[in-house]
Amino acid sequence: MVDLDNVSTASGEASISSSGNNNNNQTPKPTKKKRNLPGMPDPEAEVIALSPTTLLATNRFVCEICNKGFQRDQNLQLHRRGHNLPWKLRQRSSKEVRKRVYVCPESTCVHHDPSRALGDLTGIKKHFCRKHGEKKWKCDKCSKKYAVQSDWKAHSKVCGSREYKCDCGTVFSRRDSFITHRAFCDALAEENAKSQNQAVGKANSESDSKVLTGDSLPVAPTPAAITTPQSNSDLPENPPQIVEEPEAIVTTTTAAAAAAVLNANCSSSSSTSSTSNGCAATSSGVFASLFASSTTSASASMQSHTPVFTDLIRSMGCPDRSADFSAPPSSEAISLCLSTNPGSSIFGTGGQECRQYVPTHQPPAMSATALLQKAAQMGAAATNASLLRGLGIVSSSASTSSGQHDSLHWGLGQVEPEGSGLGPAGLGLGLPCDGDSGLKELMLGTPSMFGPKQTTLDFLGLGMAAGGSAGGGLSALITSIGGSGGLDVTAATASFGNGEFSGKDIGRNS
Amino acid sequence: MHVHMKAELKAASISFQNQTLFNTHQTTPPLPEPEALKGCLGSLDGACIEKLLLHCASALESNDITLAQQVMWVLNNVASPLGDTNQRLTSWFLRALISRASRICPVSMNFKGSNIIQRRLMSVTELAGYVDLIPWHRFGFCASNNEIFKAIKGFKRVHILDFSITPCMQWPTFIDSLAKLQEGPPSLRITVPFFRPMVPPLVNISIHEVGQRLGNFAKFKDVPFEFNVIGDNVSLTSEELSNIESTNFHFESMLNLLNPNMLSLREDEALVINCQNWLRYLSDDRKSQNISIRDAFINLVKGLNPQIVLLVDEDCDLSSSSLTSRITASFNHLWIPFDALDTFLPKDSCQRTEFESDIGQKIENIISYEGNQRIERLESALQMSQRMKNAGYFSVPFCDETILEVKGLLDEHASGWGMKKDESMLVLTWKGNSCVYATAWVPNEIRDHIGLNAHV
Repeated sequence: MVDLDNVSTASGEASISSSGNNNNNQTPKPTKKKRNLPGMPDPEAEVIALSPTTLLATNRFVCEICNKGFQRDQNLQLHRRGHNLPWKLRQRSSKEVRKRVYVCPESTCVHHDPSRALGDLTGIKKHFCRKHGEKKWKCDKCSKKYAVQSDWKAHSKVCGSREYKCDCGTVFSRRDSFITHRAFCDALAEENAKSQNQAVGKANSESDSKVLTGDSLPVAPTPAAITTPQSNSDLPENPPQIVEEPEAIVTTTTAAAAAAVLNANCSSSSSTSSTSNGCAATSSGVFASLFASSTTSASASMQSHTPVFTDLIRSMGCPDRSADFSAPPSSEAISLCLSTNPGSSIFGTGGQECRQYVPTHQPPAMSATALLQKAAQMGAAATNASLLRGLGIVSSSASTSSGQHDSLHWGLGQVEPEGSGLGPAGLGLGLPCDGDSGLKELMLGTPSMFGPKQTTLDFLGLGMAAGGSAGGGLSALITSIGGSGGLDVTAATASFGNGEFSGKDIGRNS
Repeated sequence: MHVHMKAELKAASISFQNQTLFNTHQTTPPLPEPEALKGCLGSLDGACIEKLLLHCASALESNDITLAQQVMWVLNNVASPLGDTNQRLTSWFLRALISRASRICPVSMNFKGSNIIQRRLMSVTELAGYVDLIPWHRFGFCASNNEIFKAIKGFKRVHILDFSITPCMQWPTFIDSLAKLQEGPPSLRITVPFFRPMVPPLVNISIHEVGQRLGNFAKFKDVPFEFNVIGDNVSLTSEELSNIESTNFHFESMLNLLNPNMLSLREDEALVINCQNWLRYLSDDRKSQNISIRDAFINLVKGLNPQIVLLVDEDCDLSSSSLTSRITASFNHLWIPFDALDTFLPKDSCQRTEFESDIGQKIENIISYEGNQRIERLESALQMSQRMKNAGYFSVPFCDETILEVKGLLDEHASGWGMKKDESMLVLTWKGNSCVYATAWVPNEIRDHIGLNAHV
């Protein structure tokens, strides 16, 4: 819903400023609109909770004279005028109407919470239908279904009317996303490269020296067609410059910058690029300088990706300083490489490629074994996806990090220990709440819910052992929660002094 | 509220235990965690979760480890990276709290290596898709580009200083609109700083290469174009570069570059300063120099006599030193992108998880770090506006054309996205809640010079 100035539920009611001295009722003092905290409507607003039937009732406003129903209050007022009521009855009640906000009747919905109420009755109606209602309206052209009629109408107008197709094959329904994509897409780079290859001679010699075997341009998700791009987009026809050399300014800058960086690279041993390249051969150091990427290097991207892969592996083997933010992007790139085909963009990117602009952080030494484990885990993740997901385990690419030597048991499709090691009974006893009964109730309420969960994990043969041996204390909790998985569970013997949740308290009911 | 909730929880738990859900140990078990618990946790809504988070935070602050771990246990059972909006958001907050806890209570295991959120690098085309997933970024792009377009009318040369964490994503549409000018496009020069805070979204190629692609595109559109990177000749160790504490250092170095000489400013060009999600990373601490980096930046930039300065950022106050207020503010702000993604992407969507993970990184920085390491220092739109006014800027209202353009943009996205005007600010809203604000500024001197009283 696009509504300008939507803090306006109460704007219909003019607040009559009654400052005693003069009759300035014509120009009410401009009150500064209170800015609400995001996500929280005006704390003084009146929260209205309507039942689903009332909410969806189309004619909530009923004329008391003839019982005719209207969807909007304004319409009702208009109608009432027609009844020729005496003046007194025609006026609306003069009491100020407080701003109203509405909650969604659906209890599981995020907007059921008063602090997430919506300020607009139409809005909450639409929301309720969209989110919790039946989708009765179906688009003719595509198969999209809608619960709200206006949504369906709006969609039907647009559906199939405008489509933008990039040379690489990707289709867009919005022009701005199409243009942005096109600007950076390889298809355009290739088109320029072609036009420059046709140029006589003068390819930038500086750039040439830096063009390497590796590809410096990431491959687009749908591999760019190497054939002459058909400009079937709706961009104005711009025949590529055939005879001209590359825009001097651009390449000069690039070359100059590249030169500068190369110097920097060569001079400082730990280059701004990934240090792994520093410890690899100098060739990979030069390889690291992507700034060499003038358009001529676009053709290089056509070459095989193998050098990239080799470099990746080589640099993986080089241990780096341990960073606060250990950088799994490269490892992720690798693990994804292992499971996806080399043509994919993710492979093509390879975390190593990020040079000066975004220095990568090398993960702690990731041996081949770890790599294979990770691959197995990825593979297992793929097959056991439903199981893992079912137990609320996010896919490993999103949350695991590198260098997990105990990730082996991940590959067997086990569940990350979910803190079930701390039994409900333990939590139920002796809760040292700091006087906030609300918290106590919150937490007392929950334990019994999670009993069965333990059973599940028991079945999988996990969790209990892990949690139990973890001992007590915060470290145990952290271990068993194992946020991102792969925490070395067996090493969690750190005692903490607070033995609240030692083994005896764990109420196993398996 | 509590009593009501407690009763509901108890009632739910009784029926829950009778379910044989967990007795089916078959090949494809149902989804126990998110779905089955959903009923019970249904009443454990956003407000409750927020309270739990706050309890956990205050427990950590007062070193009450026992309470902290109890609350964490509960939160852990609420949290689910693949659950609904609240569950997903909670899982990131919980992770951040744990990360914070681990600093307070060091444990004898390699915790760091395993809980740090991954740094993800994407290709430049992926980034192009990323910024268009929801109007979060594109809103700022659209509003800013339109205003820039107006501000440079009549100039033959345009120079844009682009300070942004989404490198160059804003400009293709701008170049496209320049190309369509009847009188022919002005020549365009874009300068970006080499250094950029180590926050997502990160690309896997150098900024030089990103700029070079942009140049390709400009060439394709017949717009004379030049791309420059400043500050890339500082040789630093990789340790220094990637250390998040060095953010301040880099910004300070960058400040030295903000003079007409280093930037090769020309008299006849229209200078535009574009700041997207940028100022928040500049430190607000007044150090020995009596001026913070943030203020120094604003002042320096004003001294360059720009035609217009665009400032876009998120409307959320995270500058407080109190952890609990930061949790409240960020929790109530960041549910928005989570909710927006929930409306049109499935639970297991990669794009969604990655986008959320990026936000999760921010959450971690906000909650788990302090001092120089905490670089996410957003201030509210009002505070930022006041800061600009104090520095001698005049706020330029957005013209009707811009508003129409932005409306058109939002129409193309899911319903629920809206926009409102707050004085001279344009604010992107999701279901009525403010997300991102866009503002345009002109130094008072320039305004007086060109007689800009009412922006037509």
